[in-house]
Amino acid sequence: MKNHFKVFLSALLLICITDLVQAQRLFTRSANVSFDATTNSSLEVVDAKTNTGTLVIDVPTGQVEAAVLMKSLLFEKALMQEHFNENYIESSKYPKGVFKGKLDDATKVDFTKDGSYKANVSGDLTMHGVTKKVSAPVTFTVKGGKVAAHTDFAVVLKDFNIDIPSVVSDKVAKEAKISFGGDLEELKK
Amino acid sequence: MKFNRIFSLFAFLSFAVALPAQDDLLSLVGEPEAPETHAIATFKGTRLINFHTLEVPGKRTLDFRIAHRFGSFNSGWYDFYGLDGGASIRLSFEYSYDGRLAVGIGRTSLDKMFDGFVKYRLLRQGDKSKPWVSVTLFSGMYYTILKDPNKDANGYDKYEHASSRISYCHQVIVGRKFNEHFSLQIAPVMVHYNQVQDFSDNNDVYLLTAAARYKFTKRLAVTAEYGWRFWDYTRTKYYDSFGIGLDVETGGHVFQVHITNSLGLAENQFYARTNNKWANGGIRLGFNISRVFTL
Repeated sequence: MKNHFKVFLSALLLICITDLVQAQRLFTRSANVSFDATTNSSLEVVDAKTNTGTLVIDVPTGQVEAAVLMKSLLFEKALMQEHFNENYIESSKYPKGVFKGKLDDATKVDFTKDGSYKANVSGDLTMHGVTKKVSAPVTFTVKGGKVAAHTDFAVVLKDFNIDIPSVVSDKVAKEAKISFGGDLEELKK
Repeated sequence: MKFNRIFSLFAFLSFAVALPAQDDLLSLVGEPEAPETHAIATFKGTRLINFHTLEVPGKRTLDFRIAHRFGSFNSGWYDFYGLDGGASIRLSFEYSYDGRLAVGIGRTSLDKMFDGFVKYRLLRQGDKSKPWVSVTLFSGMYYTILKDPNKDANGYDKYEHASSRISYCHQVIVGRKFNEHFSLQIAPVMVHYNQVQDFSDNNDVYLLTAAARYKFTKRLAVTAEYGWRFWDYTRTKYYDSFGIGLDVETGGHVFQVHITNSLGLAENQFYARTNNKWANGGIRLGFNISRVFTL
């Protein structure tokens, strides 16, 4: 009898564990992403946006992965978009921008309790065929069981082999500001 | 003992299921959905050398173009191989509100020609899927304000009726961007002259044209265009228009430099009435500058 009880207990425990693991993945496929390379001196806004960014967070391990299709980034000016895809980011050769990293202090964030949490994420950003280590602060906002994430960081375009010709150096910034954010849902599998 | 064994088995199984998937979290939610995209920049501008390409200015884009052709190389040392005279210039504006329908106006110095045209992108080549080609329709109307130089000698004005000053050009441009480097377009062309030069001339001229570019760096491409006049329409000696060029892209504008045997810059001039030939150096240096404004 006692043994049976123990088997039952461990089975229950197992269900709890697997349930916990499965419920603890958060994701979105409609993250707002912007890529801004406007210079201070220029009137011309070099800013692309999309709301089709993908983000997945594995809560127990703090693993974070995000991806953006370069062609989904839309500029206001048609020619700017053509140049972005053809000459700078070369989207047919390098269609995606991917980040794979980890929350440095995942334990500080309680996804079940309302509040605003600041954490740091660091990992590898792959863009234009080049992979670089990046680190960025992330803000998680938990409200009524809903989790939202947001991050802002800057990348030096030269680091990713994206060169800015001198004739447009006053119009295209050397550093691009990237923002990424969205409302996360639980990933059910 | 038994409990421990069972427990560890379960524990192992549960982790075995949970762990491997964590290596690639993104695959759990599937690939980001590709937006419906078209092949971009099949050609670098709305014109290749003289010929219209299948490109139409982007949304709310005004394209201001300056085209210039020097005199021919065979004019010799005295005219410094075409630099001194016999040049022609064309200024034009093209605008598209939706990136599909474009309207344009232009003025060409040769024959004091005004023109207006409509261009419509009927079909856009898909990025990776169908359709395999882009199709653009073009219709232009040309009006010369030239005075009849032989009016007094002939005793009549050949431009007595304003309609005699008008000609038309229609084309269906079919093209494909095969890869990042190579694009090709084929266009059947029809030119109609309300008034011809000789009694035996045809009012209608049909041509088959081809234009291609090979992009060899991010910002440089070589281009070529050829118009085959398979139609017998005149007794005057004319030649097929042929040009080769280089597209240079510099940030906000495209600079095109080329060598062509055509002097005229309007469709009713270079397609059917190119009167210089490559063989005897009847070619000239030319350039197009395009500057776009978003309105």
